[in-house]
Amino acid sequence: MPGWYYDKKELKNTPSAQDGIDYQTEMRYRKEGARFIIDTGIKMDLGYSTSATGVVYFHRFYMFHSFKQFPRYVTACCCLFLAGKVEETPKKCKDIIKTARGLLTDQKFNTFGDDPKEEVMTLERILLQTIKFDLQVEHPYAYLLKYAKCLKGDKVKLNKMVQMAWTFVNDSLCTTLALQWEPEIIAVALMYLAGKLSQFDVIDWTGRTAKHLRWWEMFVEDVTMDLLEDICHQVLDLYSQTPSQSNESPPQNQPRLNPPPSSSVARPSNGQNNPVSPDQPPPMHSSIPPPSDVPTYIYGTFTGAPPPVPGFPGFSAPPMSAPPVPPHMAAPPPGPPPNIAAPPPVFPFVNHPPPFAPPGVPPGANYYQPPNPPHRQFYPPP
Amino acid sequence: MQNNNARERTAYPQMMNNREKEKYIENYNFPYCDESAKYEKVAKIGQGTFGEVFKAKDRRNSQKFVAMKKVLMDNEKEGFPITALREIRILQLLKHENVVNLIEICRTKATQSNRYRSTFYLVFEFCEHDLAGLLSNVNVKFSLGEIKKVVQQLLNGLYYIHSNKILHRDMKAANVLITKNGVLKLADFGLARAFSTNKSGVPNRFTNRVVTLWYRPPELLLGERNYGPPVDLWGAGCIMAEMWTRSPIMQGNSEQQQLTLISQLCGSITPQVWPNVDTLELYRTMELPQQQKRKVKERLKPYMKDPYACDLLDKLLVLDPSKRADADTALNHDFFWTDPMPCDLGKMLASHTTSMFEFLAPPRRSTQMRHHSLPRPTTSTVQDGGYIDRVF
Ligand SMILES: Nc1ncnc2c1ncn2[C@@H]1O[C@H](COP(=O)(O)OP(=O)(O)O)[C@@H](O)[C@H]1O
Ligand SMILES: [Mg+2]
Repeated sequence: MPGWYYDKKELKNTPSAQDGIDYQTEMRYRKEGARFIIDTGIKMDLGYSTSATGVVYFHRFYMFHSFKQFPRYVTACCCLFLAGKVEETPKKCKDIIKTARGLLTDQKFNTFGDDPKEEVMTLERILLQTIKFDLQVEHPYAYLLKYAKCLKGDKVKLNKMVQMAWTFVNDSLCTTLALQWEPEIIAVALMYLAGKLSQFDVIDWTGRTAKHLRWWEMFVEDVTMDLLEDICHQVLDLYSQTPSQSNESPPQNQPRLNPPPSSSVARPSNGQNNPVSPDQPPPMHSSIPPPSDVPTYIYGTFTGAPPPVPGFPGFSAPPMSAPPVPPHMAAPPPGPPPNIAAPPPVFPFVNHPPPFAPPGVPPGANYYQPPNPPHRQFYPPP
Repeated sequence: MQNNNARERTAYPQMMNNREKEKYIENYNFPYCDESAKYEKVAKIGQGTFGEVFKAKDRRNSQKFVAMKKVLMDNEKEGFPITALREIRILQLLKHENVVNLIEICRTKATQSNRYRSTFYLVFEFCEHDLAGLLSNVNVKFSLGEIKKVVQQLLNGLYYIHSNKILHRDMKAANVLITKNGVLKLADFGLARAFSTNKSGVPNRFTNRVVTLWYRPPELLLGERNYGPPVDLWGAGCIMAEMWTRSPIMQGNSEQQQLTLISQLCGSITPQVWPNVDTLELYRTMELPQQQKRKVKERLKPYMKDPYACDLLDKLLVLDPSKRADADTALNHDFFWTDPMPCDLGKMLASHTTSMFEFLAPPRRSTQMRHHSLPRPTTSTVQDGGYIDRVF
């Protein structure tokens, strides 16, 4: 029983690859599917966690089936439909299809066939079986907020950094990062990236001990700089991809927004991607802010800015709808302000690979086991 | 249709047509979702709101039995039911000795005859009895130590699920399973949900239409929607009393009557004993008997005899949910720490060689505690055709 994490080799040998779809095309399909789930989610006022959960289902689905067998927009609708129910923000199937209809070209919508609802319903059963009913998905967002609360420094800059990291997390959904790394790691990496780009230097943090060189060592163990940089580059590569020329999925007409950031992180030497060019529009709705002087909320992608963090004075209301009430079982909302909060426990990071969950461990096994209630010892009756 | 398909196939030349898709689904071997045919149905053991429950045997290991709960999807306009999704998600998270273990989810093969739509089953470790079934059998006699063990395990299960921020919301004897070795398992998370302790000050807006009427606490009957773990402890109290009375202690036939029965047992519902109760939505709508004295100990004493038992029950059947004992407090009660100490049920159960389930049992006879002779709500009293299920 493998976990839901794959190494790069596995990601290049997917059912789609075996079906003759080249890697770049598959990555584009994945990006388009994810983007579409996010856009549909926004249109329907679904919260970020619903969209993000839908996207993760989508990526997992195509580790078992090929894009040739299942057209991506139908799958995307189905994933959002299921995620809506799982995250307690259910939407009627017909409403999702209606919204999708509005977002897709006729040609793309034709893949839904004669009875789109039936198509999605049938697919839902296949989806559930494919993802082995592993419904609960964690995302980096909650970790981002949790980590941010421990960082000390200029509040305005910190807020800016968190918002930028939030945007990167949104955009990371369009990559296969969620199939590669635990949400904790992604959160750390993208905060690290946002910190660099917004010039927020973390010099001190709550719970710091002598053995911690970097703030994230409090939360994840054994994360190398190489790994962090690799994760950052996978996100940054989204902004440097040349818009596809395919007829099948023409690039969406995007408004020209801010140029992509000039990264202070070294480029990878794989030579696969075009270097960041400041006059190239980002291919997505999102615009990544230049390192400084951006108006606070300009770089919202699908959820806009992160939700206000209690204990972060000066965090004004987000531009779009407030984040939903934490869904079922999600991490609890941010707690007390950083100066009160005890340092959170170190996340027992499992080296990757092997998969996150050791084989044979049931999905819920590491769920919180409460300590035994402090029952007193037997004492003689009065 | 032809037209549409033709267009579709020009745009996406490699896409499967419907026929190909059906074949694909029929032949795809989902690595994570086994076929239900790996189990062989032995008997129907339950019929509930969401579907039938079967006892089944593992074809590869004839010693291993499971309970299969069918996911009813027939009248679902919105696909896989959200209630079943909730139940699955919660069961996947909860792993504890006193919580029923979900082994896997199985499917029937998609074929032409089911229109390529699989049926799904939740597969559980099999438990030989449910508490309602055991209590309805007069030959099953619990000693005081054995009752303590049952109640202790019940509270242990609640302590665990509440620590994990889950409310059960359907406590009743039929949803409490007991293995042949005497291990108690909380079951039926079909109405369960997660809760958060609302530090943020935003009150919850849960539905109050949960919990079988006879086990429903006063706050739910009065329309409270911002409730929490105490709702399950009320149910635990009702179940505890039932260990002696052998039938549910308050069998109302309407919400109004249930409140009346509660007032007659636990005393009048007033702001004196329950501050702010008057702010609850239905406080003015419902007729609440006045001048009722609290008689929990007095009325249960003839059944329970043990003073510690009466005292613990008195602390569970508390009107004001904020004063009701929580699982931890209840587990620390003298009841569990005085002689006779809780003792294993395994030996006693070993003398009973047939499974006892509410579904298979005749309707339980009424006792003095029963005010109205009515069929049990929400559960079927249909008799199974005399199936005798051997435990051993
Ligand atoms: N794991 C199990 N082992 C044995 N019997 C079970 C098991 N799970 C359920 N049952 C029986 O089936 C009945 C109905 O199951 P339950 O989960 O309560 O479904 P419902 O929501 O339909 O009430 C239970 O009251 C119990 O008698
Ligand atoms: Mg039940």
